[in-house]
Amino acid sequence: MLVKNSTERWGGIAKSLHWLMALGILGNGIVGLIMVDMSRGMNKLNIFAIHKSIGLTVLALLVLRVCWRMVDRKPIDEPMPRWQRVAAHATHGVLYLLMLAIPLSGWVYNSAHGYPLQWFKWFNLPALVEKNDALSDLAGETHEILFWVIVAVLVAHVGGALVHHWFERDNTLLRMLPFARLRSRNHGDPS
Amino acid sequence: MKTLFILFCLVGMSGSAVAADYQVEKGSTLNFSGSFQGEKFDGRFRDFQAQIRYDSTNIEASKFDVIVDLASVSTNDKDRDEALPGADFFNVGKFPNAHFVTRQFKKDGDKITAEGTLTMKGVSKPVNLDVVFVSRDAGGTLDVTGKVQRLDFGIGAGEYADTATIGDEIQIKGHLELGAKL
Repeated sequence: MLVKNSTERWGGIAKSLHWLMALGILGNGIVGLIMVDMSRGMNKLNIFAIHKSIGLTVLALLVLRVCWRMVDRKPIDEPMPRWQRVAAHATHGVLYLLMLAIPLSGWVYNSAHGYPLQWFKWFNLPALVEKNDALSDLAGETHEILFWVIVAVLVAHVGGALVHHWFERDNTLLRMLPFARLRSRNHGDPS
Repeated sequence: MKTLFILFCLVGMSGSAVAADYQVEKGSTLNFSGSFQGEKFDGRFRDFQAQIRYDSTNIEASKFDVIVDLASVSTNDKDRDEALPGADFFNVGKFPNAHFVTRQFKKDGDKITAEGTLTMKGVSKPVNLDVVFVSRDAGGTLDVTGKVQRLDFGIGAGEYADTATIGDEIQIKGHLELGAKL
């Protein structure tokens, strides 16, 4: 697997970042849904700490990913109708924004509530804002709403990839999968 | 007879000078700090009674006796304040108070140490406090600092014993405004 992107497919770095973050986002969404209903206790404290640690990791990976995206060239879009291309790129743009806004809103919530922020029991990160109950409530609600927004956008993202894979039979999904062989490109009518 | 009289006066004088009893006045605080998930937090006990006898010229005659109402704890965090009085931590239902009483005072140069016993949650352990007394009019201020290991007293035992999450060491800081005892 090439480290860098080619015109045909994503390289190792882009793929690693994509799938690591996919795992982190999916995992943290599940952890988040479970933890809020837990009864008070050490397990709850620990699982919240893990949720925050994963969220910070996703945020750090996002920074790396955006940097890499600016450095490395992008593969050329698979042939597809213009509306699909526009929709796909809009979805990607919204996903980037959400991957930034969700951890940040969580961090603001955490800070405004006065909770500590520790990365996997290793080191602490500073509060973004002073303790503030109103802001804490607002950021907490924003965090939750944005989570459901990203769920919806991810349904479109994953759905689009699967439609391209199964129905359009192109390389949209394959070129992001690790170790997958690309299909020979269909040069026929893209519509 | 005359000698006896002088002796009486001396004893009387030394008695009042050595064993000065003070009254704890408004502005006195009993604070502590611990750590949670790598971050320091501060707390205080709103209600406590302290009997203070102190004399810097005869330090060994001093005595502190402090009773702390553990339910009056406050740490600026609703969840924590609800958890601390519970059975996992102070268990105020069964052990409403902490009790600190000095055994002896020691003086090493300018440094004064109150060696005492702290009883909490049915456990008694030696605890030493550094003492700084500043005389003022008929009273003064008394600042004490010390530390305890929370697990020595079973505070937050069981699942809360993980010291990577809740630090074992608790810093204690008391500030007493003292007035002459009426």
